[in-house]
This record gives sequence, structure tokens and C-alpha cells, in this order.
Amino acid sequence: MSGRLLLQTLRWQRVRLAIVVLAGIGWGLLIPVFYNAFSDVMRDLANSGAFPRELMSFGSGSLFTLPGAITLGLQHPLAIGMLGIFAVGASATAVAGERARGTLEVLLARPISRLALYLSILAALLVAVLIVFAAIIGGMIGGSAIQGLTAELDLAQLPLVILNGFGLWAAFTTFGLAASVTFDRPGPAIGVSLAYLAVNYFLEILGSLWIDAAWAQDYSLFHHFNPGAILSGEPVLVDLVIVFGAAIVPVVYALVVFPRRDLAAPA
Amino acid sequence: MQDTSPTPAISTRALTKHYGPVRALSDLTLDVRQGEIFGFLGPNGSGKSTTIRTLLGFLHATSGAASVLGMDVGRESVEIRRLTGYLPGGIALYDSLTGEEVLDYLVDMQGREPYRRGELCERLELSTAVLKRKVRDYSRGMRQKIGVVQALQHDPELAILDEPTEGLDPLMQQAFYRILDDLRREGRTVFFSSHVLSEVERLCDRVAIIRAGHLMAIHDVPELLARRRRRVTLRWRGVAPDPTSLPGLEDAEVDGNRIIGTLSGEVAGFVRAIASPNLEDLTIEPASLEEAFLEYYATTETPT
Repeated sequence: MSGRLLLQTLRWQRVRLAIVVLAGIGWGLLIPVFYNAFSDVMRDLANSGAFPRELMSFGSGSLFTLPGAITLGLQHPLAIGMLGIFAVGASATAVAGERARGTLEVLLARPISRLALYLSILAALLVAVLIVFAAIIGGMIGGSAIQGLTAELDLAQLPLVILNGFGLWAAFTTFGLAASVTFDRPGPAIGVSLAYLAVNYFLEILGSLWIDAAWAQDYSLFHHFNPGAILSGEPVLVDLVIVFGAAIVPVVYALVVFPRRDLAAPA
Repeated sequence: MQDTSPTPAISTRALTKHYGPVRALSDLTLDVRQGEIFGFLGPNGSGKSTTIRTLLGFLHATSGAASVLGMDVGRESVEIRRLTGYLPGGIALYDSLTGEEVLDYLVDMQGREPYRRGELCERLELSTAVLKRKVRDYSRGMRQKIGVVQALQHDPELAILDEPTEGLDPLMQQAFYRILDDLRREGRTVFFSSHVLSEVERLCDRVAIIRAGHLMAIHDVPELLARRRRRVTLRWRGVAPDPTSLPGLEDAEVDGNRIIGTLSGEVAGFVRAIASPNLEDLTIEPASLEEAFLEYYATTETPT
């Protein structure tokens, strides 16, 4: 692995990373506020029977408990978008983008193996994803503290939340980077990576909103990260195995495919 | 007897690269000696870049073998690139960085000191002010200069340059030629592809001609130039002699007291034969390598 390349990759992402981290902290701070302000109203609404109970939740989250609200906040499209900027956007364009621009061959003319190049970029992207994820979680914990709600959370489980969440987003990051080393252009790499994210998201939301399709949730990676359950003191360790397994498979694929690929001259 | 000849800087043996049914390179066998400037000539799409990219490990050969500085291109590609400087054709750089940042980044990745950067920048007129500007503001020529500097700044043992003068203005081309002359004097090896014959003539010790993925010929440049045909114009006082009596003169046309033709082979014998008090004027135009090259292609069948 090349430390220089890792740092340079992070350096190129630094402005975007700073903006997303600030947005993530802001979003995280808002979730406990929403919960504090609207959970009773939502519960009354749900109990009134005016709406199906399924519509009161979003994915595996809900506004009825603070851990549920945190889950909801992490599965909300805004959070997905923030994390997806790095896990899908930056990863899918990392190698394919350099390849399309022609800078990959300038870089690979240095004494760096494709394996080292891949691992350096992967490490930089995972660091970025971890920072964004930690920023959102940090905002949520900070918001809970400001609202005086931390007693509703089992904070001793926080490292497990971060580990499980990181595993989930690492899976999307490694998939994006595997797509990036496969294609010569960023367009197809972004398309495939976005489709992977969207299918996972769709299965999770579909299963949560339609009781007959609840089985679909099991096939979504999002369903295997439930911070609400973890912060309520009910961690599901198999979820860790699933998300990290899903993260490792694309790494193995990329390590096999990338060094063996022909890198013809860019058009 | 033990072979005491030095290891070739580049050696390929039946190197072949196919992209599916497309044969980009077929059975390329050549040796580039250490310390020479070797020109790799051919039209666009002839296989020049495929060869270079295979030597640097970007492409995997379908069959055959290749080594650079005595190292196998498949197994020791990283070590090869440590000792090599590479200028890709139509180089792309990081637009968001300044020229100086690009050079710093790339030499840092190279893991060697930029011994030659100052000298190269001076000779290619890359001032400190220019280097402080973002690459996105550079003209094509300036990008190419940065490309040349990044390829040579770490004083590589072997420079592989893909169409290096593309985009350089004539003055900078001359500056670049002088840089390569100096590299040759210092015993460095330069392998460069080009379709500009005049620069190959100016610079190279030897030249390989490649066409449709096939190696057509390898020549010593002085030898190739010696074999070329020259355009000759003779003007006589009075009536011109019978051109068939002039040795080596071909395609001769008589126009009054002038004879215009092409001369192949030795010049001395021809000059001796035409020596006469009636010879008023003699012009021998040196054919360029381009003509020699075209002549070569005109007489050589295209491979299929």
C-alpha cells in the first residue's frame, strides 16, 4: 500500500469531505430533535388507526423510540446520499475516472503495483466513509445529549453501531471500487454501483411497508444494520458477519481482476 | 563461449498481443542496446503504443517474452518502472494541481529524487511562475513540457517516450533534442516512438519500423540514410550527355542542357563519372529519412 497515494486521495476529497461531515453532523443533531418533538404525535396518530402502522416506520426505523429514530435517520435518503457520495460516487469513479482521464497510466508508470494502488485508494475511501458515518452518529449522540435523552440509549453499544454501520457502507464502497476497476469509463461503474445501492434500499423499504414482502428485507444489506436494536441492547451479531462478508467479496474480486486486466490506451 | 555483451535495455522475443480477433502486435523481436537512442517508427495504429504499454506492464502479452533492463515485464514490472521514465502519448495530468504539485507528486511516487528537474525546467522554459499555475490553465505545449519533465526528472536509466514532441513548438523541439543528446552522452537509453521522421533522423542511432503490428525492419539510421536515393540536377554547357552513361542515375529526364534524375548508391563514383569541364552546375539534394521511409514502404508488401 502507498501511504502517499492514500493521503493524496484523501487530499483530493478533503473539501467535499468537510462539507459532507458538516452536513452529517447537522442531520445527526436534528434526529433527536424530531424525535423529541414529534414522537408522541406520531404514536397517537399510529394508535388512532388513521394510517396503517407500517407507514409510521421507514425501513427498520421509527419515530416511536430514540433508537428507532436513529435507525430512521441513518436510513433516510439524506443520510444515504451523504454516505453515498463517497461509498458510491467517489469509489465508482476512483479508478475508472483516472482511467478515462488518462491519469491512471501516469500513476501506474511509477513503481506501484496495481494491488498497492487498489488497496491505497480503498483505504482512503473507507477512511472517508468512516469519517462521514462517525460524523452523523456523533451528531445524533450530541443531539440526544442536548435534548437530555441519552438515558434512552445504551451508549456502551456505540462502538458496535459504528462497526456495523461502517461494515454496511464498506460493502457499498468495495462494490463501487470493484466496479471502478472493471470498467474503462466511470459511467457504467457509477450505474452499476448505484443500481446495487438502489436495489438494496428498495428491498428494505418494500419489506417494511408491505407486510407480504417482509421477506425481501432479509436480502437487503440495509436490513442488517439496525442501530435501534443495538442501542436498545439487542445487537444481532450475524448482521456483522453479513455486512463484512458483503464488503470482502468485492475486494477479493477486485484483487483477482484488476492486476490481470489489460489497460489499453485511453481513447 | 560465454556471452559478454551487455544486457539489452529492451528485449522482446516473438512478442504478440491480440485483442480478440484483432492482432495488435505479431511476433515482435527486437533488442534495444543500452546507451542508444532507439526510434520506433510507424503510422498511427501500427502497434507502437501497444508495444510500449506491454513493456510497462499495462498490457499482458498474448504470447512471447519481453524484458526491460534485464527484468521480465510480467514478473518484475514494478522494479522496471522504478528505473524507467515514461511519457505517454497525449499525456493527461491532474488539472486541479499546479505544475509543481504534479511533478512533486509523481516524483514522490517514483521514490527517487528529482535530480534533473531544475535543469529540465530551465531548458524547456518552465519558469517558477508557470509551475505555480494550475495545470488546467496550461496550453497543450506546456502540458507536454511537464510530461517530459515528469518522465526524466528522476534521471531514469531508460526513458520510454511515446511521441514526445507532440504539441511542442519548434524551438522547444530543438531544446528537447538537445536534452536527448545529453542523455545519450551520459549513457542513458531512450526508446521513443514517433511518426515524425525528421526527428528520428536527427536523434536516433537505430530505428525500427513497425506496420500493422509487424516489425518491418530495423536499421542503423546512418545506414538507412546512406541507402536512400538523392535527387540530382546537372546542367551542362552545350548538349547534355546521354544519361544512361551516368552510373547510378535513374529515372533521368533530359530537358535541354539539364538532366534531372535520382541517384542511388555511392556518390563518389557518380561524381567521378560526371567530372567534365562542360559540367556547369550540380545539385544533389539529400533525400530525407521520410523519403527513405516512403521508399521502403513502397517496395515492401503490407503484412496481412
